[in-house]
Amino acid sequence: MSPTSVPSKDLKAGTAPRKPGRTGRAGHRSPLVRFLVRRVLTALLLAVGITLVTFVLTNLVPGDPVSANLGQQALGDPAIVAQWRAEHGLDKPLPEQYLLHLKGVVQGDLGMSQQSHRPVLDDLAEFVPATLELAGVAILISLVSGVAFGVIAALRRDRLSDHLLRVLSLIGISVPTFWLALMAFYVFFYRLQITPGSGRIDPSMSPPPHVTGLYTIDSALSGQWDVFSSAVGHLLTPALVLALYTIGLLTRFTRSAVLEVLGQDYVRAARAKGLPPRVILLRYVLRSALVPIITVAGLAFGSLLSGTVLVEAIFAWPGVGQYAYKSATTLDLPAVMGVGLVVGGVYLVINLIVDVLYGVIDPRVRLQ
Amino acid sequence: MAIRSRRPGAKAALLPVLLTGALALAACSSGGSSTTSQSGGTAAAKTLVIDTSFDLKTADPGRTYEPTGLIIGKAAYETLLTFEGSDVTKPVPALAESFDLSGDGKTLTLKLRQGATFADGSPVTADDVVFSLDRVRDMKGTPSFLLDGVEVAKTDANTITLTSKNANPALPYILPNPALGILNSKVAKEHGATADTGDKAEQYLNSASAGSGPYTIESFNVSSQVVLKANAKYWGPAKPVYDKVVIRNVEAATQKLNISRGDSQVALNLSGDQVAGMPANLQVKKTASANVIFLLANQDPSVSKVTSNPKFAEAIRKGVDYDGLLELAGEGSVQAPGVIPSMLLGALPPEAAAKRDVEGAKAALKESGEASPTVKLEYPSELTVNGLSFQPLAERIQANLKEVGITVELTPAPVTTALDNYRNGKEELGLWYWGPDYPDPSDYLAFLPGKLVGLRAGWKAGSDKELEAAGDTTAATIGDEARKQAYVDLQTKLNASGPFIPLIQPSQNIVTAASVTGLEYHPVWTVDVADLGAK
Repeated sequence: MSPTSVPSKDLKAGTAPRKPGRTGRAGHRSPLVRFLVRRVLTALLLAVGITLVTFVLTNLVPGDPVSANLGQQALGDPAIVAQWRAEHGLDKPLPEQYLLHLKGVVQGDLGMSQQSHRPVLDDLAEFVPATLELAGVAILISLVSGVAFGVIAALRRDRLSDHLLRVLSLIGISVPTFWLALMAFYVFFYRLQITPGSGRIDPSMSPPPHVTGLYTIDSALSGQWDVFSSAVGHLLTPALVLALYTIGLLTRFTRSAVLEVLGQDYVRAARAKGLPPRVILLRYVLRSALVPIITVAGLAFGSLLSGTVLVEAIFAWPGVGQYAYKSATTLDLPAVMGVGLVVGGVYLVINLIVDVLYGVIDPRVRLQ
Repeated sequence: MAIRSRRPGAKAALLPVLLTGALALAACSSGGSSTTSQSGGTAAAKTLVIDTSFDLKTADPGRTYEPTGLIIGKAAYETLLTFEGSDVTKPVPALAESFDLSGDGKTLTLKLRQGATFADGSPVTADDVVFSLDRVRDMKGTPSFLLDGVEVAKTDANTITLTSKNANPALPYILPNPALGILNSKVAKEHGATADTGDKAEQYLNSASAGSGPYTIESFNVSSQVVLKANAKYWGPAKPVYDKVVIRNVEAATQKLNISRGDSQVALNLSGDQVAGMPANLQVKKTASANVIFLLANQDPSVSKVTSNPKFAEAIRKGVDYDGLLELAGEGSVQAPGVIPSMLLGALPPEAAAKRDVEGAKAALKESGEASPTVKLEYPSELTVNGLSFQPLAERIQANLKEVGITVELTPAPVTTALDNYRNGKEELGLWYWGPDYPDPSDYLAFLPGKLVGLRAGWKAGSDKELEAAGDTTAATIGDEARKQAYVDLQTKLNASGPFIPLIQPSQNIVTAASVTGLEYHPVWTVDVADLGAK
């Protein structure tokens, strides 16, 4: 949505019209642009903060990466230990290590991974698409199902379907993701034999030519429909498992947000004017209810990302979660920093999108 | 008041239902195809899927030292000598057709086999051998200690000599290590390989192999999977059976489900409990692993006045219930009579293993002068060896020693943290394991005073001069029989006066599909993929 289209929509939605004088002095920028600039600058500062916190925390861990990475006999050879330290820049003082890392980040170099011996950026380019594919499908399922279920539950308040959906959402929120993943794998793959096994595609197949790193899209682009079918099949169970928690969360929040709006005077007025229920729901109810839903969706995406670590482990999904786990257990500092930066960056982007959507949906936010 | 219209709700309700239905359909079709492809079809019949929990850093043989890396190295590269099946007591020729160790044990002469070729068809030459071994030694990667002090020289086009300053009878047992795989030096050099610390070939060797092994590397990912494909130009008599071997990083619980369902054909990391109820159509191989789990009692009085008392170690040795530990470890595990595992030359016989003697332990504790001592036992909390976690072992030891009158405080820590204290010799009591770097008893001289593991137990050089002298003599002993006896004697002394209490060798459980043949557990490379056949 372009910023220029916002005022007319605001007026349509019956919110306060913008006063002409308010855009004047701040360099001819609209409130939305100023709002965006402010948010982006804050996000950049936060990104630097993330690198510092990750660096400090990783170095506070009582352990030596050398012990974690070299074999027992090699540890007894000072020449090998010294060579390893020098190779990975660990012979420099900590502040210098941090500044070098920061300089690298600015230049697009996240350093070399101690475990894979490759640039961290190359590793991330390989693992992030797998996680994005998984998390993306999961969030899509969550948004569609969660909002739909929440609206249904609100519209059918205190009926059987409402009770049923509330119980289901409670289960979705309460059940630990790793348990659900194990059970789903056991029941659907092993017992019922209706879903494929672990990994992203059947092991006898070769991955599609790399374009986006998303197997579903890459296989479709290359016309390898057997690979596409395998990729979709492998993606569904872990994505559904991941989505269940966010579906539950969104169902509950959507329900309460919709119920709150349904009780507002302007909804009663709209109904009294004889507007069709569909129009009332979509234009008046859902739009107003969207602010809390977007907040929760943003938070849910964060929890979904953290949930991928265990789901990826159980489904042997070669994503950033597995990479992060292995990096953490081997004290692979550059890789941990890289993952921290990516995950933190995703959070920041999501927060930025949420903030912007607030501004778009509710003009009062951007005028503050 | 709610809007009581059915239309919007009904449409909204349809959406997730349709979505779920579509997803389920896709899942079913994919699951079906996956099963079919595993059970039938020409391409699928030649694909072997191995599930394992990855311990992998690189595919560069000169830097490889992790179990998964050794499996890959063994498949893609060949060494001068090797072992047949699981027998590690006798090195046999591989790329070398014969070898001879001089009487003083300082010179190993190897004759290169004629006709061996790399995957690109070029012959394996003495220059390739010299470059590969020099590279491992001089680029100071993890396995470089294997050739520490060994000079490699080409005597003529087909002869290589390896010369050590001191007697090195272990060298024929070291050479089969896949880290000493022979590289196609021309290809490697083209991609930055050098025989010094400036070597830059690792990235290339992680994407394509440059060896003469029966398989080549098709794709390599340290966190997810490695794909090997058959070397179409393999020179050896036994051609690779599978066109493609996929080695996947899979958690043990998922490994069990995968192999039970037929999604994989080999599972390498199942614990004793996990293999207990395997379907009858699967083959389960339980072999005592070469990993020896042991306790150490620190001998440095500044670390602990209690554990440095020689009688205290004796009290522990007599106080531990070894049968109970074996029960925990599961079928296939064996008690370790000494630090050298049962399959290696010089291992103590089973009857030499310590036995529980609670009264004897109490007497030893009384002699130590320590009444009801309290000691801290440190161990890695999340580490598992052959599927066996250290936590239950530590708890069992704690209970055993309580009966003797020793209070053990359990101090688990993440492995990276625990390793620091262990490495620096700061643990009062430690629970660790040692796997052979190479299958020769000389690797276990590290347990003597002043040596690598000895120092971790606070056992400084000069602490036991008689034992140290025996160690020096044993290291220089030549000839299998003489060496065997020397190591047996050395371990007997070590058990009597040393700070180490060998506990168990947990079972390595390998499950294979009924169609897979030829599997042998190997203490160095776990599984030789090239040995695996199909019914």
